[in-house]
Amino acid sequence: MSRSIRLLRYVLARLALAPVMLWLLASLVFLLLRLAPGDPVDALLGSRAPEAARAALRAQLGLDQPLWHQYGGYLLDLLQGDLGTSLTNQQPVRSVIGQTLPASLELGLVALLLAAVVGLAVGFSGIARAEGAVDLGARLFGIGTYALPPFWLAMLAQLVFAVWLGWLPVGGRFPPTLLPPVGSGFYLLDSLRSALFEGQWQNLSGTLRHLVLPACTLALLLSGIFANALRLNLRRAMASDYVEAARCRGLSERRLILRHALPNALLPVLTITGITVASLIGGALLIEVTFSWPGVAARLQEAIAQRDYPLVQGIVVVVATLVVAVTVVVDVLVAWLDPRLEF
Amino acid sequence: MLAAAVALGSALMLAVGCKPRRDPQRLIIGSRNRIDTVDPAGAYTFGAMQLLSAIGDPLYAITPDGRLEPRLATGLPRISDDGLRVQVDLRRGVQFHDGTAFDAAAMVFTLERFLAIGKLSYLLGDRVTAVRALGSHTIELRLKRPFGAMAQLLSAINLTPLSPSAYRHHRRRQWSDRFVGTGPYRLSFFTPQQQRLEPFARYWGRPAANRGLDLVALGNSTALFGALQSGEVDGLLSTSLELDHQAALQRQARRGQLRQATGPALEIGYLTLLSDQPPLNAVGLRRALALSLDRRRLVQRVSQGLNAPLRGLVPPVLPGGTPEPWPAYDPAAARRLYRRAGYCQGRRLPLELTFRSNIPSDRLFALTWQALLQRDLGDCVDLKVQGMESTTAYRQLGDGAFQLIILDWMGDFPDADNYLMPLLGCDQSQGDRCLKGSSAASGSFWTRPGLEAELRRSASAQGDSRVALLRRIQGQTAAATPYLPLWLVQPRIWVQTSVAQPRFDGSGRVLLQELHRP
Repeated sequence: MSRSIRLLRYVLARLALAPVMLWLLASLVFLLLRLAPGDPVDALLGSRAPEAARAALRAQLGLDQPLWHQYGGYLLDLLQGDLGTSLTNQQPVRSVIGQTLPASLELGLVALLLAAVVGLAVGFSGIARAEGAVDLGARLFGIGTYALPPFWLAMLAQLVFAVWLGWLPVGGRFPPTLLPPVGSGFYLLDSLRSALFEGQWQNLSGTLRHLVLPACTLALLLSGIFANALRLNLRRAMASDYVEAARCRGLSERRLILRHALPNALLPVLTITGITVASLIGGALLIEVTFSWPGVAARLQEAIAQRDYPLVQGIVVVVATLVVAVTVVVDVLVAWLDPRLEF
Repeated sequence: MLAAAVALGSALMLAVGCKPRRDPQRLIIGSRNRIDTVDPAGAYTFGAMQLLSAIGDPLYAITPDGRLEPRLATGLPRISDDGLRVQVDLRRGVQFHDGTAFDAAAMVFTLERFLAIGKLSYLLGDRVTAVRALGSHTIELRLKRPFGAMAQLLSAINLTPLSPSAYRHHRRRQWSDRFVGTGPYRLSFFTPQQQRLEPFARYWGRPAANRGLDLVALGNSTALFGALQSGEVDGLLSTSLELDHQAALQRQARRGQLRQATGPALEIGYLTLLSDQPPLNAVGLRRALALSLDRRRLVQRVSQGLNAPLRGLVPPVLPGGTPEPWPAYDPAAARRLYRRAGYCQGRRLPLELTFRSNIPSDRLFALTWQALLQRDLGDCVDLKVQGMESTTAYRQLGDGAFQLIILDWMGDFPDADNYLMPLLGCDQSQGDRCLKGSSAASGSFWTRPGLEAELRRSASAQGDSRVALLRRIQGQTAAATPYLPLWLVQPRIWVQTSVAQPRFDGSGRVLLQELHRP
């Protein structure tokens, strides 16, 4: 069987497993939410509302139905692409996710881009002289940024750049004095479009000003992962037989690194990038909370506190779908790029 | 990738230098109040009420000095002889934000909608059976039983009128991100984190003193504190702001670096005692605990003096709120009561206090009281503390899961009934034990024969006789001590010195339409 057919079978197997994984996850979230003490009525009405009012609201929200009935309805809706309605504001869950997911993706992708450039540059910098001062600095940078508590770093950045220096806003996604650009929900793209085509440059400036602190903080935290990964893999590649053989053939060090060692060292970095993207989709919670970034992670946290079952379920399912999609794409990409891999 | 990063980096650097220009008469007010819905039928948080008070109008309002003032009503409610029918005359010439006229039909539409889908519909539904229009500008409410504080109830901002034509497709479902009412501002933009308010040009009353407001919610207290310090926001509401930050802002205000305004203290903090099970089913021990509470010191340590000690269930600013009948701190008297119950003689009373772990002041209170008790009455009481997330705790209150738990409460409209009924109401009882009703749901399970009838009488009474009855109920409750009032929380706002002195109304909300730069 040729490699491309095997690759196709591998992709199909991964895709076939995805719905099963999503069903398991959706069921688990459904059950865990109902097992947790407290329900939306407690979260909405607090401790003081009369029992009759609580019962009426419970019935209004459909929480008085038997669990299997709720579960059946939930799965049926899910199959039809209906994520339900938020219990706290009666908005379709799809619309809440549509408002918050672009914010998380935008922050995550910009941070990832900055982290990759900084991290890879730092990881690459020490290769000329292993265990030299630059290499030591790169190692310290990798460990240091990886070990920094995100909440602490975010608050420090906020304090220095927003409060003391007053250069940047403390939080939010867009200046409150302006109306956010209409479009895809990705403010960077939308405001770039409105700047280029409508001359609304203040939108772009406002978006960037609000993006700088959270993106740079997140990027700094992530850059250590890239720096360490590249540094270690590059050193391993440089010590490998094929590099030694190339060196014996008289290739320059520059050519050795850039043409032979680096491409091989970058393959594991691609896997790490995939995992990082997956974790960022719903995982930049501390950064979102600290910078009041209206993303999906912060919304999920609120929904859990409010016991907003449909919203929590909807966010988890959508985020899980994206994570599964990203990991499948990365796995396939790595399998396609690396001829040594068997599947 | 490098080119993209360089381009992005350059753009970021450029952006840092470009601060957007601001209209000085448009003000930005910050708070932690994320608002999920602006629909009065679904709104229940303080932030949503504050927003609604700027874009909506109640029938009645409580003035800063505590008087009842007709707003969309033209006078006080007319009550029938049997007390079961209430008529309210409505203001003429009022327009909704969509240009349609406000009239009795609109008010009936609003009240019926609230009764049908309101999250807090029990506010009205417990007292009102039907609403109808009597002519173009008069409505009539039929009551289940006489209720003396009808005007105060109608001051609830959840009952602000809505345009029937705008809400025709939302008659029985919420409209969470739009609002069409009669208030001094129009809501021109809404997200849970940000709301933009524009003055309503055809407002019937005094127009807004500013050219608009932007309300922004930031996710944490530090960010809000920083935003006021850096001038990014013009004002900051105290709700959910950490007490350390509030204390720091108060110090700055005293030094003249900020302006501070305080509203009426209508939020109470209190302890619920599980009064139907040992050991706290013994009145003597509950009294002893009441005498073991050094409120002055606790308030100082926990809130740095921002909260005021409270020895009653009704806030003192409301009729019936004074005098405060719970006893003051007296460790010697407490010791005598503990000894009488067989403690302090090599035997310590084991107690467990639960606090809501997501509320920092609760934790601080629990730990401070534990230390104070250990110091002053350590040979008599052994207080253990445990934290629990609030939603989880609320679920278990009615199961009698907590010996002692710290909670808070703010009435949806400022009236004593709104504080006593939710804590003491009881639908079914057996002696001093409440089997079903608010007292059981709130975790104390205490009642006494005749209390429910007295509560109902106080709800229907008015004037001095009502105040006397409220004092009597509070006095008897204090004697039985199923609750221990702790403190009063006062709402605050801090603004930059360039902004005129703000004011609160009598319901504890900032009068946003008065904010301006002189």
